[in-house]
Amino acid sequence: MLQVQEVCYSYGNHRSWLRPRSEKTPVLKQVSFELERGCCLGLLGTSGAGKSTLGRTVLGLQKPDQGQVLFEGRDLYAAGGRIRKTLRRDIQVVFQDCHSSVNPLMTADRIIGEPLRNYERLSARESKRRTGELLEQVGLSADDGNKRPDQFSGGQLQRINIARAIALRPKLIVLDEPVSSLDRVHQSLILDLLAELKASLGVSYLFITHDIQAAMMLCDRVAVMDRGELVHLTDWPASLWDCEQTAVKNLVEAVLPEHPGGRLALL
Amino acid sequence: MQETNVLEVRGLRVGLKSGEPAQLLKSIDLSLGRGRVLGIVGESGSGKSLTCSAILGLLDKRAMSVEGSVRLNGRELTDLPGRTLRTIRGKEIGCIMQNPMNAFTPVYTVGSQFVETLRAHSRMSKAQAREQAARSLESVNLPEPDKIMKRYPHQLSGGMLQRVMIAICLCLRPELVIADEPTTALDAVNQLQVLRELERLKTECGTSVLLVSHDLGVIAQMADEVAVMRKGEIVEYADVHRLFDDPRHEYTRMLLQARPRIRKEA
Repeated sequence: MLQVQEVCYSYGNHRSWLRPRSEKTPVLKQVSFELERGCCLGLLGTSGAGKSTLGRTVLGLQKPDQGQVLFEGRDLYAAGGRIRKTLRRDIQVVFQDCHSSVNPLMTADRIIGEPLRNYERLSARESKRRTGELLEQVGLSADDGNKRPDQFSGGQLQRINIARAIALRPKLIVLDEPVSSLDRVHQSLILDLLAELKASLGVSYLFITHDIQAAMMLCDRVAVMDRGELVHLTDWPASLWDCEQTAVKNLVEAVLPEHPGGRLALL
Repeated sequence: MQETNVLEVRGLRVGLKSGEPAQLLKSIDLSLGRGRVLGIVGESGSGKSLTCSAILGLLDKRAMSVEGSVRLNGRELTDLPGRTLRTIRGKEIGCIMQNPMNAFTPVYTVGSQFVETLRAHSRMSKAQAREQAARSLESVNLPEPDKIMKRYPHQLSGGMLQRVMIAICLCLRPELVIADEPTTALDAVNQLQVLRELERLKTECGTSVLLVSHDLGVIAQMADEVAVMRKGEIVEYADVHRLFDDPRHEYTRMLLQARPRIRKEA
C-alpha cells in the first residue's frame, strides 16, 4: 500500500540572506520500506534519528530531495491538485503534543468535525451526530463535544486527536510519538484504544516511537533508525531483544527494570 | 536520628487564596537521609511538582498559603527571607527541571549561564569559573565542552541540556537535588545516561535526591524509598522493595499494574 523508495532528505536546503552559507545536514539517507494494508509498522530510534522527518515525508508535508513515496501506486509528490487531496484524505496523523495539535478556541465537536466539513457535505445535525459517534468510539461521551481543549486532560485530548484522525476512515495513520507525553496509566489506555481501532477499522499505522515496549505492544513489524539510516527491519518484533545490531542493542539495554530487584548497573 | 536527615518536611499544606479556596496539598510529611534517593510517584495533577516548588520556596505567597515546616539539615526554610533563600537555592538545593529547554534563557550561551550561576554562589574569576565549567561538562560525558559553552540552548538536544544542568549541580555540590521529572522529555537511551549522572552525583558527592517521576521504571531503578501521591496526599510511603513486592494501597496497585511490561523471557 505504501512504498518508500530510497528517500533522502537534508536540512539546510533553504538559503536566505540571513543564512547565506548554511550547511546541509543529511537526516534521511536512502531509506526504503513498504507497508501493507492493516499492518502496523513501528519506527524506532533515539531522538535525532530522523523518525519524525520520515513521518512528515510519508504525510506528504516534506518533499524528499531524492527518492519516491508511493501510496497505492501513486507518487505522493508528483500528483497534483485533486488527486493529492484524495490521497491526503487517506493518510491522517496524530502528533505527540496533544495541546498544540488542537485549536484552543474550538469545541471538541468542531475540532473533530473539521475534516468532515472539508471533505463531505454534511448538515449541521448530521455532523453533530457523526462527531458524537466518533467521541464514543474513542472512549469519551458525546456530551464532551461542547467542551474546549482546556477542559480536557492530556490523555483525553489525545483521544480527540485520534477521533479526528479516524473521522474520514483513512487507510493509513502516522502516529508520531502519540503516547510519549502521557503518564503510564494513560499510555496503556491509549495503546489499547489504538489496537482496538486497528482491528475494527482495518487501518494501517506507521507508529513512530523511542519506546521499545510500546512498539512491541502494537506493531507487527519494526524498523529501527539510527542517524538517518534504516539499520534494522524485522517481521518479528520479539527478536529485537536478541538483536546484535548496535543501535538496537542500545535501545534494548536502556529499558529500565520493572522491579527494584532487577536494577541496571549504572556506574 | 532526626538530626541526620538532610530534608525534613512536616505537615506541609498548600492552599489557594484567591477564588474558591482549595486545598492543593494536604499535610505532606517527607524525610530524606544523606546520600539517599526518595522517589515521588503519582499521576499528573497529584501535587508532585507543587511539593517541589513548596520545598524550594518558589510559590507565590500572595496567591497561595503555605503552612508547615521544611527543614534542610535542621534549618527551617519556610520563614527565611527571599534573599537568604536565593543563596540556598542552587548552592544547597540543586534543581533539575523537567523541561531543559525552558530552564535556560534562550538568548544567552550555555557557557555564560553556567559561569553566571557559579559566580553567583562562590567567589571566583570568570576565567576560573569557565575552566571549572568546562571540566564539569567533560565529567558528564559531553564531548568538546569548549564548543558547547559557546552554543545557545536551542543548538543542543534535550538530553545534552539536561546533562548541562546536572553538570551545574556537580560543580556546586549541593546537599540536596530536587529532580522533577528529569528524564520525561528524553528518549530511553538519553534517559539512561542522565540517570547514570544522577547516580554518580549521589555516590561521588553524597548528594540526596528527591526524584519526582511518573515512570515506575525510573523509580525502580533509582529510589530507596517511595512516596505515592494522589490528589495532594501521600497515600503510601514505603521502602522501594516493599512497595513493589507488596503494594498496600489500592492506588499503588493500580499504578503497578497500569502497563503489562513486555520483557524478554529469561
